Amino acid sequence: MEKFKEKSVLIISLALTLIFILWGIFFTDNLAKVTNIIYTGSIDYLGWVYIGTTFFFVIFSIYLLFSKYGHIRLGKPTDKPDFNTASWLAMLFGAGMGIGIVYWGVAEPVTHYTKPPYGEGYTIDAANTAMTYTFFHWGLHPWAIYTVIGLALAFFQYNKRLPASISSVFYPILKDRINGPIGKTIDILSVFATVFGIATSLGLGALQVTAGMHTIFNAPDTLMVQIIVIIVATVIFLISVNTGLERGIQYLSNSAMIISFAILLLILILGPTLTIVKVFFNTTGLYLNNFIQMSLRLRPFGEGEWIAAWTLFYWAWWIAWAPFVGMFIARISRGRTVKEFVIGVLIVPTIGTCLWMSIFGGAALDLVVHNNNHDLATYISENVSLAIFTFFDQLPLSTFLGILGFALVAIYYITVADTATFVLGMLSEGGTLNPSNKIKMTWGVIQSAVAAVLLISGGLEVLQTASIAAALPFAFIMLVMSYSLLKGFNGELEIQRRKKRVKET
Amino acid sequence: MKLFQVRKGQFVYYKNELHRVYTVKPVYKKSVHLVRLRDLTQHLCSAAEVDRYQPKEGDSFIFNHNVFTLNKDRKAQEGDYILITNPDPDYLDHYSLNEIEVVDTVENKGVITNNSNGIRHHEYLLMVPGRTENSNPIEFRDVNHSEENNVNESVPSFDIFLPSIGDVYKKKDEASSFESMVVAIKGNIIFLGGGLEIIEEELLDSTKWEFLYNILDQ
Repeated sequence: MEKFKEKSVLIISLALTLIFILWGIFFTDNLAKVTNIIYTGSIDYLGWVYIGTTFFFVIFSIYLLFSKYGHIRLGKPTDKPDFNTASWLAMLFGAGMGIGIVYWGVAEPVTHYTKPPYGEGYTIDAANTAMTYTFFHWGLHPWAIYTVIGLALAFFQYNKRLPASISSVFYPILKDRINGPIGKTIDILSVFATVFGIATSLGLGALQVTAGMHTIFNAPDTLMVQIIVIIVATVIFLISVNTGLERGIQYLSNSAMIISFAILLLILILGPTLTIVKVFFNTTGLYLNNFIQMSLRLRPFGEGEWIAAWTLFYWAWWIAWAPFVGMFIARISRGRTVKEFVIGVLIVPTIGTCLWMSIFGGAALDLVVHNNNHDLATYISENVSLAIFTFFDQLPLSTFLGILGFALVAIYYITVADTATFVLGMLSEGGTLNPSNKIKMTWGVIQSAVAAVLLISGGLEVLQTASIAAALPFAFIMLVMSYSLLKGFNGELEIQRRKKRVKET
Repeated sequence: MKLFQVRKGQFVYYKNELHRVYTVKPVYKKSVHLVRLRDLTQHLCSAAEVDRYQPKEGDSFIFNHNVFTLNKDRKAQEGDYILITNPDPDYLDHYSLNEIEVVDTVENKGVITNNSNGIRHHEYLLMVPGRTENSNPIEFRDVNHSEENNVNESVPSFDIFLPSIGDVYKKKDEASSFESMVVAIKGNIIFLGGGLEIIEEELLDSTKWEFLYNILDQ
């Protein structure tokens, strides 16, 4: 019984995920049906929850930037940052980049161009709206979510010396009950959300790796091949865990950053450079101008399908990803002040992702708008997984770019799978920094199985709906987290004041 | 022909003393950047000037003016120093070969250091304060094997580790916090600020006193 208490988070979250996998394998149609019901329900009843909470995180992050808590240092007052500012910012940007940014960089703007959230498709206005919404989905909102969770995890880990688990963040509210059933429930929900956030990424990755193999090696682009990709990646990961090749994964993730920047520069040079620069400035203006309206946009008197398929999916995906990215951001940010942290995590990566989207989206839209190439736009929006390779085909050095793109997606896939198992191991073992290999391997197999089940049940659409459902409880957890963080900060200021008084006397 | 395979983290002998390579900058003339373990001072040299040494259990050396012996059998406790001889960093860890870190908390599977690194028990050797019997002192290279470098004349004596004016020491006492500076030396009697007189051996006993810094280095 004592052992079960100790390992309850691990056992219960594993059991829940296994039930889901078995459900997907033996009752595939039923799973697709249920996710569809959840999808419809999320549009009608829960859309406002995601819209409201995510907008609140943006406001809350900006408030923290200018608040009286700005000078609080994450760690001891004498702690110096572990990394210099340049590498810290590069790592932050790297945390937010990944399979998603490669997958959607071309596909999203072009799809919005063909089916905009409002107005006529295939027009100049639609192109501007497409870029604005792409900025919106990849801009301040995701980074505000990461700011809140990263800051909370770092503060309670370094200043309050609590374990690196999500329940630690609730110490000011729950006190020692973070070790009881409530704390365990929070950890279970965070593990569950993380599994689905990662499975969504792995699913997208498998779709794109298969598409890349189809383009480069003429391999068939079928569900069977996608599942084989997942199995091969899982085997590679299991070998790396067992043979001490883990260090190789770190080299891989560094090389992914280098390849990303190389592709970015190549497209900037080979593509329509002037248009890209204009797109960046113009879209930044439109984004800032329409920010509040877009942030709170719901369609009370019309169909909300576009919002559910795009905005709600993204907000849910970011929230599901939050524990994973938050852990990483907290780890590299010790010694920074709250003000530095918010500027570094909210502002700089937002500019980075908007630049990325301007280069990919701007160049892709230039191809379809300037040449009136409606067929190409339709083809890209209907074959989203192939989007980036279709786009490369239109540029000089297309084969080279295709191979680079394929290598990038493959590397991101392996690194995400590997690093996710470490974070899941940590979360499910009470915040330990030494998760055992057995547990890491278990999570490795489980997350691959979830990704495979979601792909079998209906591909991209099911990936999107599953993450919307799994992230919902965690959205509420993150709201309470904001309040807990404020309480923690106030306590810290009180301690500082008392120390000052003691010194003066 | 000597192959220069110098890597970050390696322990090397340079001018007959033990150093740790903290970085290698290939484009520099003096490409190997070292930190001398006994006093943590920085030294630059080329790869040809260093000889590698792999620390092992039972070795003893001076780190930051204090003597330690490497031990594998004793369990690490909070506040202990560890030498990471077999690094296998996880995704969120940030450490490399032969990093010296302080234990913050001890878990079943490993320890958490004060740099928030999770290190498993098989990755490190514990640095036990003091020089145990039968330990193998490694702060200097074995002179008998160093004819090719003619370092006989450059072997420093242990005098360099004697307290000098301006050294600040901290008494290892749970009950009170006492820091004091060496203000005078008469034979082997050391006069500390605060009117304390102790013999040299006692001050150099790392279980009783800890060297902090010398004010002239500040």
